[in-house]
Amino acid sequence: MRAYDRFRLLSLALCAVLAAPLARAAPEPIRIGIITSLSGSFATFGAMEVAGYKVAAGEVNEKGGVLGRPIELLIEDDASNQNAALAAAEKLVNGGVPLVMGAFASSITKPLGGYLTRVKVTLLNTNSADTSITKPGSPYVFRVGQTTDAYADASFDLIRSFPDLKTVAVLVSNDALGRSTATSVKDKCKALGYKVVGDQAYDRGLTDFRPTLNSFKSASPDVVALSSYEEDAATLLRQAKEVDLSPKIFIAVGATGYALPQFITGAGDAAEYVFSAAPWRPEAKFPGAQDLYKRLFKMLGAEPSHHAAKAYGGMLAAAEAIRRAGSTDREAIRKALREVKLMTAFGPVSFDAAGGFQNQNPAPSLVIQVQKGKFAVVWPKESASATPRYPTPPWDKR
Amino acid sequence: MLTGGVYAMVGIGLSLIFGVMRIVNFAHGEFMAVGMYLAFVLFRSAGLDPYVSLLCVAPAGLLLGAAVERLLLAPIQNAAEHAPILMTVGVGLILSNVLLLVFGAHPETIYTSYSTRTVRIFSITLSLPLLVSFALTVLVVAALYLVLTRTDFGRAIRASAQNRDAAELQGVDTRFVRTAVFGIGTGLSMAAGVLLLPALYVFPTIGGIFTLKAFVVTVLGGMGSVVGAIWGGLLLGVVESVAASFGATGSRDAFGLVAFLLVLLVRPAGLFGRSRV
Amino acid sequence: MYKTRRGGRGTLGAIAAVLAAGAAYPLILPRSLNFGISVVLFAALATAWDLIGGWAGQLSLGHAAFIGLGAYVSTLLWTKAGLGFAAGLPLAIAAGVLLALAWGFITFRLRGAYFSLSSIAVAEVLRILANNWSSLTGGPEGVSFNDLPPLFGLDLFDRRVEYYAALLLLAAALLIAFRIGGSRAGFYLEAVREDQDSSMALGVDPLRMKLIAFSLSAALTTAGGCLYAVYLSFFEPHGVFSLDLSVQLVLMSIVGGMGTVLGPLLGALVLLAFQEAFRNVFQQSSLLIYGVLIVLIVRYAPDGLSGRLQLLLRRIPWPLRSPSAR
Repeated sequence: MRAYDRFRLLSLALCAVLAAPLARAAPEPIRIGIITSLSGSFATFGAMEVAGYKVAAGEVNEKGGVLGRPIELLIEDDASNQNAALAAAEKLVNGGVPLVMGAFASSITKPLGGYLTRVKVTLLNTNSADTSITKPGSPYVFRVGQTTDAYADASFDLIRSFPDLKTVAVLVSNDALGRSTATSVKDKCKALGYKVVGDQAYDRGLTDFRPTLNSFKSASPDVVALSSYEEDAATLLRQAKEVDLSPKIFIAVGATGYALPQFITGAGDAAEYVFSAAPWRPEAKFPGAQDLYKRLFKMLGAEPSHHAAKAYGGMLAAAEAIRRAGSTDREAIRKALREVKLMTAFGPVSFDAAGGFQNQNPAPSLVIQVQKGKFAVVWPKESASATPRYPTPPWDKR
Repeated sequence: MLTGGVYAMVGIGLSLIFGVMRIVNFAHGEFMAVGMYLAFVLFRSAGLDPYVSLLCVAPAGLLLGAAVERLLLAPIQNAAEHAPILMTVGVGLILSNVLLLVFGAHPETIYTSYSTRTVRIFSITLSLPLLVSFALTVLVVAALYLVLTRTDFGRAIRASAQNRDAAELQGVDTRFVRTAVFGIGTGLSMAAGVLLLPALYVFPTIGGIFTLKAFVVTVLGGMGSVVGAIWGGLLLGVVESVAASFGATGSRDAFGLVAFLLVLLVRPAGLFGRSRV
Repeated sequence: MYKTRRGGRGTLGAIAAVLAAGAAYPLILPRSLNFGISVVLFAALATAWDLIGGWAGQLSLGHAAFIGLGAYVSTLLWTKAGLGFAAGLPLAIAAGVLLALAWGFITFRLRGAYFSLSSIAVAEVLRILANNWSSLTGGPEGVSFNDLPPLFGLDLFDRRVEYYAALLLLAAALLIAFRIGGSRAGFYLEAVREDQDSSMALGVDPLRMKLIAFSLSAALTTAGGCLYAVYLSFFEPHGVFSLDLSVQLVLMSIVGGMGTVLGPLLGALVLLAFQEAFRNVFQQSSLLIYGVLIVLIVRYAPDGLSGRLQLLLRRIPWPLRSPSAR
C-alpha cells in the first residue's frame, strides 16, 4: 500500500476507535438516594420498601427511564438507628443525589427530615406513620403513605354505614401510632355521637390482654376499635375469643398488624370478620393492582405487604417529578413534586396541603375484612372487591 | 396471676445463680428466649409438643449454661466485681443477636390445640397453658427443694453459697458446683421459656423484658433465696394484674420497677433474703 | 483488677493533641459533620460514663437516664416555658446531678450488682414516665423542635456550632478525668473500687467518693443529652432512654480501656468508625460483633485496647514520658 493510503487508513481507524466509545456511551443514570432499614429491628419492613422501589424503578427503566436516563438506586442502611441514618444522609447529600427517599421508622424519618430540610434536599417518605411528619412538617418533606386521620375517616365511614352501632371501646398499643389512633377515634366518636365505653393503652411486651378484654366485655361495646403491632394482633383476637368478647364489629383503625397476612395465619378462625383500615391490598380496584402484587411477590420472594406498594407509588412519583422538572436540580424537583398527580397500582399519589398538613398525599385509606380466611376490600365502594359482612356473629355461634 | 408462676420460675434460676456464685446473670432472659426458639423449632419441624420438648430443652439448657460458665465465667472469677456483669451482658448480646440473625425480627407463635383453651375453676376462667405452666413450676420448685435439702449435692450447693472457702476446706468441689449451678439456673430459664411459648409469642429481643422481670422478682423476694423468688414472682404477677384491672395498663411495667426501687431503698435484702448485701 | 493509668505530662500532651485534631476536623472534612458530631459526642459521653464506671467501679447500665433527662428538661423548658439554652442547660444539668445524688445515695450502700440492676430500672422508669405523661412530654410521639433561640448569638442548628459544642464537652470530660486521675480523689476512688472495706480502714468515705464521681459523670452526661437532642432535632422516649444506648457507652469504655483518660475516646472512635465503614456490609451483625467484642475483651484484655496499647507504648523509650504510676 502506498504511504499516503496507509496514512488515510490509519487515521480512519483512529477515528473509528475514538468514536466508538462515544457511540457506545450510555446515558448517565439518575441516582436516587434511599435510606431504609436493611438490618436491625425494622429489617423486614425495610426489605418490603426496597422491593417496592426496585419494582417501580424497573418499570420506569423499561419504558426508557426518565429524561432518557435510567434510574439507579443508591440504597443506604440505617441499621434501624438514628445516628447511622444521619451519617447515611450526609453521604448521599455529598454524593449529589437529587432527592432522598426514606426512612421506614418514624423515629428515624423525623431527624432525617430536620437535617435534610436544613441542607435543602427533598425527603420523600413512603411508609412512616407519625402525623407530625407532615403536620406541620416542612417544605422539604413529602409523604406518600396515608395518615392515621385517613384511617380513622375510612373506618368511621364504614361504621356509619351500619345501623344500630352506638358504643365504642378502644384498645391501643402505648406508642405513637396507637396513641394517635386512640385520639383520632375519640375525636370521631365525639363528632359523630358515639359513646366511648372503654379506653385503654397497653405497653409493648404485654401478653395477657384478658383483664382488659374482660372489662370491655362488661361494658358490652358495639364496636371494638384496635391498634397494635404484628405480634399482638393475633394474640389479642385469640384471647378475645377465649374471654368471649363479642362486639358487633372488631375494627383495627390503626391497621398495623391486622392488615398483614400473618394475622390470618396467626389468629386462625379468630381473625374472621375482623375489619381493618389498610393502605393497600392487591384486591383493590386500582389499575394494575393484581399485577403489582405478582411483581412484588417475585421481587421479594415472599408475601409483600402494603409497605412495598407504598414505596412503589413513591418511586413512580419521584420519577414523575424529575421528568416534570426536566433536570436533576434539587429545587426544581421539589417544586415539581408538588405538581405530581398520578393514579398508580398503589392508588392515587399527589401532594396537598389540607387540614394543617403539608406535602401529604390525600389518598383515602381502604377498609378490608377477613372473609373466609382471606382479605377482601370492602370500602370505599369504588375500590371494593366484596361487600362487608355484618354483624359479626358471637363466638359461640360460629 | 398465673404469669406470676412463670416469673417465679425465671426468678428462681437467677436467684440460685446469685446465691451461690454472687453473679447476676444479665443474660438470663436471653437464655429463656433461646429456650423458646428451641421449642418453636422443634414444634415446627418435628411437630413436638412443647411440654414434650421440655425433656430436650431443659438438659440442653443445662449443658449450654455449663459451657458458658466453664469457658467464659470461670476464667474471670477472680477478676473485678464488674467483670462477670460485663461478661453476661456480652453473652446476652450475642444470644439475642444470633437469634435475630437466624430467625429475623418477626414475632413467631405456635398454635397448639390447647393454646386458647380455658378451664373454669370456681367460676374463674383460667388459661390452660398458664395453668399447666404454674403446676409444672410448682413441681420443679418442689424437686429443687428436695435436692437442695436432702441430697449431698444439694448440701454442697448450699455450703458453697454460704462460704466458698470453708466449703472447699470440707472437700466440696466448688468449681463443679459453680458450673452445675449456672447450668441449672439457665436450664430453669430455658424451661420457663418453653412453658410460656404456647401462651405467648417469641421474638429475638424478648429476653431483655424477662431479664428485667426476673431481677424484679429476685430482688422483691430477696437475692439468693429460692423461696423468696417464688413469693417475689407471685407478688409481681399480682401487682401487675391489679394494676391492669385498674386500667393502668400503660404504666403496668412501671409498678413492678417502682416496687423494685422501693425495696432497694427500704429493705434491700428483700422479703426473705439474708441481709448479706 | 485493672490498672488505672493516670499519667502526667504525657497524657496531658495527648489530650491537647486530640483536641487540636478535633478542632481541625471541620476544616478538613466540612461535609462529614454528622459523623464527626456523633463521634465527638459519644466520646464525651463514654468518658463521662467511665468516671463512675471505670474509675469508681460502679457499672451503670442505665446512663441513658441522664441523656434522656437532659434532652427532655432542656427541650421542654424551651417549648413550654420559652427558656433558651442559656438557662435550660444549667437547669438540666442540675436536674441530672440531683438524680445522681438521690439515686447514688440509695444504691451505693449496696453491692455493685444492685447498683447495676437499679440503673436499668431507673432508666426504664424514666422512659415509662416520659412515654405516659403525654401532657408534659408529648408521650410516645416524642418531641420535635425546629427552632431554638441563638445561644450567645450562635445558631444552635448549625452543624459546626454543634460540633464545637460537643468538642467543648469532650474537653471538659477529658480534663475532669485527667484531674481525678492525678489527684488524691483518684487514689481514693481506686482504693474504694478495689477493696471497699480496706479503704474504709484508711479513713476514706466510699459513699462520698462515689457520689462525687457520679455527680460529675451525671452532669457531663446530662449536658451531652441536651446536645444530642439538638443534633437530632427530634427524640422519643424509647430512643433516648434505651438500654442499647447505655450499653453502647459501656462498650466504648471497655473496648478503649476502663479507668483510663483516653480509653473511652479511643473506644468511641473505633466503634463508630467501624460501624460506619461496615454499615452497608456487615449489616445485621454489628450488635452481634459488639457482644463478641465484650466477651473477648473481658476474657482476654480486661484493660481494654488502651491498656494493650499502653503496654506496647511502655516498651518504647519516649523522651517525655512520665514514670508510670504503677
